Amino acid sequence: MTETEARAAAPPGDRLPPAVHAWIALILRIGLLVALALFVGGLGVYLALHPSATFEGIRASNPLPALLAASALASGLARGEPAAYLTVGVLVLVATPAARVAAGFVYFRRAGERSLAAITLTVLVLVVVGLVVVGPLVR
Amino acid sequence: MEFLLFVLLLAVAGVAAGLVGSLTGLGGAVVVIPVLAVAFGVPFPIAAGAGLITVLATSTTTGAAYVRDRLSDLRIGMFLEIVTVPGALVGATVTVFLVRHSLDNALLIALGAILLLVLAVTAWGARAKNRPSREPDRVSRALGLSGSYFDEVHRREIPYSMARTDGALGVAFAAGLVSGMFGIGGGVFKVHALEWFGGLPMKVSTATSNLMIGITAAAGSGVLLAAGYINPYIAAPAAAGTALGAFLGSSLLPRLRNRTVRWIFLPVIGALAIEVILRGLGVA
Repeated sequence: MTETEARAAAPPGDRLPPAVHAWIALILRIGLLVALALFVGGLGVYLALHPSATFEGIRASNPLPALLAASALASGLARGEPAAYLTVGVLVLVATPAARVAAGFVYFRRAGERSLAAITLTVLVLVVVGLVVVGPLVR
Repeated sequence: MEFLLFVLLLAVAGVAAGLVGSLTGLGGAVVVIPVLAVAFGVPFPIAAGAGLITVLATSTTTGAAYVRDRLSDLRIGMFLEIVTVPGALVGATVTVFLVRHSLDNALLIALGAILLLVLAVTAWGARAKNRPSREPDRVSRALGLSGSYFDEVHRREIPYSMARTDGALGVAFAAGLVSGMFGIGGGVFKVHALEWFGGLPMKVSTATSNLMIGITAAAGSGVLLAAGYINPYIAAPAAAGTALGAFLGSSLLPRLRNRTVRWIFLPVIGALAIEVILRGLGVA
């Protein structure tokens, strides 16, 4: 099937199959719920462990940079550190739209829509470049 | 201040931000960032980092509903993301550079000016009539950037085609730049890029823009995350509150008069913008 034929065969709306919309909505909902669970759980555990913590102390020290190394994050999770769980929540929320774009790429590639497959792949690569290349360069 | 009190206050502010953001289409960060910077004295880059995380929460919450209802045009959204994402990467990198050169106050003043611009564009957009649909250009035809949606008000299928892709790409890049630089969603610019240059219906523009701001914020967040400008103890309560507010707002929206809501909340955001500028000038 050519790219033009694939587009012509697709249903109305944005002419993507309903299953693609359903999958993407599911990806977004799961990502949001997992991130919120980690946020609420992490904050709850931190407040239970440090009832006298102050906002000024939190504002002055940011635990995230120390947790960006995979090994530090893994050991933080193993020790049950709330900051590690909050950091994973942030990472899940950041990764959720990227997973949505990845789902789009898989569909466009399978449907033979090479132009949009290339565009979605480029977007994914740019997001990874920001996290892995640009971020460490400006650190 | 006790951290518990801060979490509760920020979560309440987040709920209000999510409500305002979803009811006005401005996104929650336009409230969260000024509140963090002005009321809590959070440094600008940390406030902007928290802002991007709230944008992700808002986009994911409402995006799931819009995609399920087939109101978001995934094809057009993914096409424009090819410029919003690099825009966000450039914007976030510029912010890191300016903060490293102790230009936080200049960024605050610029943020206040951008918020006032957002208000002006929103007010102008509320008065403007929908542009008539136009013929798709060459890029639009090649990528099949056209479709239709079922309009609940008119009870019929409304067809649309993306028109000026060059103009839409330019505005979308600028929206990505603003998003990465200041931590806001920049949705209002994306909506107008889609509506005015693309010639798309308002509902499709809003729903598609809402989806795009998520991946744009993800790109900007990646840079700020690696640079150490996202504090999870500040971003988490803001994001949780905003997600709840956005959920409530998207449920309330059909029962509220959009125009009334808009004119109630816009002055609040205007006041916050002026507070941010005064803080940047060292007056507040």
